[in-house]
Amino acid sequence: MSEALAVPSRIKRLIVESLHLEGIRPEMIEDDAPLFGEGLGLDSVDALELVVALEKEFGIKIKSQELGREVFSSVSSLSQFIEGRT
Amino acid sequence: MITGLGTVGAYGCGSDSLRRALAAPDLTVLLSDIDRTSGYHRPGGARRALLARDVSLAEWLAPKEARRMSPPSKLAVAAARMALACAGFADRRADREEMSVAISTAFGPSSYSEALLRQILFDGPEATSPFLFTESVANAPAAQIAILCRARGPSMTITQREAGALQAIGQGAADVASGRAPRSLAGAVDEMTPLLHALLDRFGALDTAEMARPFDRRRHGFVAAEGATVLLLETAASAAERSAHVLARVLAWGSAFDPTAPQAGWGTGHERLARSLRRGLERAGVDLRTIDLIVSGASGSRGGDRLEALMLRDVWGKEERPLPPILAPKRVLGEYGGGFLGAAVLAAAGGCMPPPAASFETDPELSIVPDIVPDLPSAAPPATVLVTSVAAGGAASWLLLGAPEAQEAQEAPETWGAP
Amino acid sequence: MVSGVGAVSGLGWGVDALWEGLRSGRTAIRPFHRFDHSRHRTHLAAEAGAAPQGTVSPEQRRLSMADRFAVFAAAEAVHQAGLTAPLDTLEAGVWLGSSTGGMFESEEFFHRFVTDRRHARLGDLASQQVNGPGDAVARHLGVTGPVQTISSACSSGALALGAALDAVRSGTVDVAVAGGSDSLCRLTYAGFNALRSVDEEPCLPFRAGRAGMSFGEGAAVLVLEPLERALARGVTPLAELAGAGSSCDAHHMTAPEPGGAGAAAALQAALRDARLPADAIDFVNAHATGTPLNDAAEWRALVRVFGERAGTLPIVLTKAILGHLLGSAGAIEAVVTVLCLLHRELHSAPSVVRPGDQEDLPANLVLDRTLAVPEAHAAVSTSLAFGGANAALVFSRWEPA
Repeated sequence: MSEALAVPSRIKRLIVESLHLEGIRPEMIEDDAPLFGEGLGLDSVDALELVVALEKEFGIKIKSQELGREVFSSVSSLSQFIEGRT
Repeated sequence: MITGLGTVGAYGCGSDSLRRALAAPDLTVLLSDIDRTSGYHRPGGARRALLARDVSLAEWLAPKEARRMSPPSKLAVAAARMALACAGFADRRADREEMSVAISTAFGPSSYSEALLRQILFDGPEATSPFLFTESVANAPAAQIAILCRARGPSMTITQREAGALQAIGQGAADVASGRAPRSLAGAVDEMTPLLHALLDRFGALDTAEMARPFDRRRHGFVAAEGATVLLLETAASAAERSAHVLARVLAWGSAFDPTAPQAGWGTGHERLARSLRRGLERAGVDLRTIDLIVSGASGSRGGDRLEALMLRDVWGKEERPLPPILAPKRVLGEYGGGFLGAAVLAAAGGCMPPPAASFETDPELSIVPDIVPDLPSAAPPATVLVTSVAAGGAASWLLLGAPEAQEAQEAPETWGAP
Repeated sequence: MVSGVGAVSGLGWGVDALWEGLRSGRTAIRPFHRFDHSRHRTHLAAEAGAAPQGTVSPEQRRLSMADRFAVFAAAEAVHQAGLTAPLDTLEAGVWLGSSTGGMFESEEFFHRFVTDRRHARLGDLASQQVNGPGDAVARHLGVTGPVQTISSACSSGALALGAALDAVRSGTVDVAVAGGSDSLCRLTYAGFNALRSVDEEPCLPFRAGRAGMSFGEGAAVLVLEPLERALARGVTPLAELAGAGSSCDAHHMTAPEPGGAGAAAALQAALRDARLPADAIDFVNAHATGTPLNDAAEWRALVRVFGERAGTLPIVLTKAILGHLLGSAGAIEAVVTVLCLLHRELHSAPSVVRPGDQEDLPANLVLDRTLAVPEAHAAVSTSLAFGGANAALVFSRWEPA
């Protein structure tokens, strides 16, 4: 077992913790499931909260222009974005 | 017409738990230790408060709805939904479109504001949480009530410290009386955080032995509390349409200011406050003789209780009439969270008179002995109740409640009636 | 009737500074000095400069900045109305809107309290409350009637004016002193930035390329009283506050209801209250923060209320010059509306071309230069708050009979 969890797992944990999703375990979030609108039903403020958590966790800065729907559409797309930045 | 009362505090949820708290000899059993691990408190200061943290709101608020809410928002929404249920609205959402919301808070969502400041000052602005910010604004509770109860009428948050609760009821009543909204959810909410508690204590506002002794010669401060109380107000026609049970009627309201008050303190302008109160009652066409009971916001503060007592003495003194009985519910409910507003409505609805304090020493300057209500033969609720409050900083507000009209006499364990 | 106005803003202390600055059409939004913003996402604000000499007396030492703004503006308005403090021989009341009161000073207190307690002065906290500015005005003017602070975010000032209007009409008070006050503080600065709602450049409300709001600070106060009382004192009313209306989106904590229905409801309520049809309105002082969502929703609200006229009605965009004064925005924009009616002139907003992806709102809407409006008789000012509280105020020109 490597010390660092894979990026998707870390993102899922952050989603559950920073967004106070009670009753949902990180493993329950599918990599490709929609995060906003349907699926987890998160909204724009959740997205921004997640951004703060992601910036802190991965030591990156996410510019406002990068906060597009596509990047945030699923854990997979977020993961790709983060890995491209770190 | 007040057709709904929702309330939550250290005493639990709902008017029955409020009644039980009012029947208790004092507030000792409801006190909890305030968290002092942040080191904000001074040694030897007050250590306990009337907290609602262990009260479950699950019946009124789903976890999904509450996910991002600050504590005051949760308390306020729960109380608002309780008020709607109490008024006979089974469906929490339908038919609410033009309802107005008027909420008072003395300090707003303090825990979130504090957490936000900690982030900004000590972690850096880039660590600022959007969740905390959106829910740290004073109008968050009112906004959440509007969203969850679908109230699309006028919405107002009043921040006038201890005088705000009655001002909010006045605003709600004005919304309904003017036709701006057929119904209004109006009330008060506050949360009591360790920081707030510690600062109030350092200001000398709290009784260090956690005894609230309104009007008592030995009084030395109030006991801090948190909670929410929300009333549903509506027109007589609207209430009649649903055959809703009316708890009480709002007859009049008003407020005034004492410019001798120091910042965040109480002044000495009781004569002018009395003049304003008399003038307000005259304009509302109210004869002092019809006021059967006063529910006072006196909390045990040295300056506040004095000001309120002298104001009331002055009003009745000028008419050379004896003061009606005065209740001081903050003796058992503490200060903040609107509990005393709930107690006033219960008093006006009939059958809810708290017992007097086990020990009381009259302050000769005030000459008021609260919570002594003579037994009277009739079973009807009091005809008219005057509710008063004076705030730190100078504001004062009052509300006049009347008995429900055309209601059958209430059967209640402890009843008393108009002379 | 409005018989006096007072203001403090990024253009300076006093209504004269405000009006002259607005007429220049140049923004007051620029790098500011109130606190260290190096780690914040943006670095601009329309900061009110230092108070003029002699305006803060020694007793007022403990007042917060927001308190001082409010006291200055109130004193200016009351003076213009020909009244002298103490106002205790009148039934006078104070209604003030504020979103953070003395928060700036509290931030400094809290920092010291946590890191260097010996030097934290409890007295600094006395003015912390949101009701600080309203109470300070009431004390300063010796008011003995109703005093109320309203804190409904960006609609606070407008709601305060609405509440004051009610009190004057009902005869509860002879005179109402109403408005709003807020100062820059780290909490709101960081908070709106956390929501990514802030433009890195001075905001461009209603224009293509708008990217968010800008911050401002200050206070604005209006004296309201019945016409007969003003005339009896020989005071010429500046304008009439003809009506007020409010509503709530009941939609979302930060996003406006996109169709503009809530805002439209407030506008329509104000028009009904003023007993004026939509056609009577000659210009709009829009809330217009510059955030894509707000401006789009507000535009739809204007279309709902004014129909085809919405494309030709002049829109005054005060926030492009003063930034967003939060709790006092509604009040300062009310003062600006009064001044526009009085001087028969609408101020412009800086014309900056910036590429962007927002829907272009009709091009002839936004004033590039000062517009003379000799026939303007009535206007509406809108305030649309965080948490969905919407407020609208209708003002009309006062003409002697």
